[in-house]
Amino acid sequence: MAVEHQETAGQRRWPQRLYRVGSEPDPRFTLANERTFLAWIRTALALMAAGVGVEALNAAAPTHHPLRTVLALLLLIAGVVCSVAAFGRWMRMERALRTGSPLPAPALAPVLGFGLGAVGIAAFVLLMLTGF
Amino acid sequence: MSAQSSGPWDPGLQVERTTLAWVRTAMSFIAGSLVLLRLIAHHSAVAGVVCAVLLLPLSAVLAFLAWRRHVRAERCLRAERPLPDGVQHAALAGLSVLVGAAAVVYVLVS
Repeated sequence: MAVEHQETAGQRRWPQRLYRVGSEPDPRFTLANERTFLAWIRTALALMAAGVGVEALNAAAPTHHPLRTVLALLLLIAGVVCSVAAFGRWMRMERALRTGSPLPAPALAPVLGFGLGAVGIAAFVLLMLTGF
Repeated sequence: MSAQSSGPWDPGLQVERTTLAWVRTAMSFIAGSLVLLRLIAHHSAVAGVVCAVLLLPLSAVLAFLAWRRHVRAERCLRAERPLPDGVQHAALAGLSVLVGAAAVVYVLVS
């Protein structure tokens, strides 16, 4: 059901290096890839919200603890990395769909899973060390 | 792919679900930006206004683009033309990085 690729004049698609390769995939796959990208972006936003939340609570606490700020910064950096990676992954995925090659593995997913587990434990230890 | 012809009428409501995902994302960005602005403005009113001017209109434009993309995608499906491209994806990822930068600034000044 691959739609014929029609490059009409004045209708350039960006990024060109992506749309140059392969043929147009089933629109359903393109749309599913788009939704997955959006889910990754929302995940990035959630990470950043967690970082801001940690710091906001830190600011409201009787004593401002630098370790909590470090935790907040870690979450924020993870959020920014996740945003950039989301776009890269969308592009690699779309390329795989266009060329009919196997889909790339979610390289960031295990890092995020284990990383968040570590952050959870760190937050718990921090809570015990610095008090509420 | 199933043998029965699904045609351009999209019985899976893929375009609609994708539009809702865009709207949901844009709304999260508006809400997140508002909270962040409130926190930043607590420290510096000027920084708060600067961030507000940067983040809120961009998030609002994103919500508007979601609906425009819906119409375009629907039209593309019916005309059997390729779907809209990835400019909007890059813009959203950029906005997300911008929100992250504003959040880092907040954490560093607070």
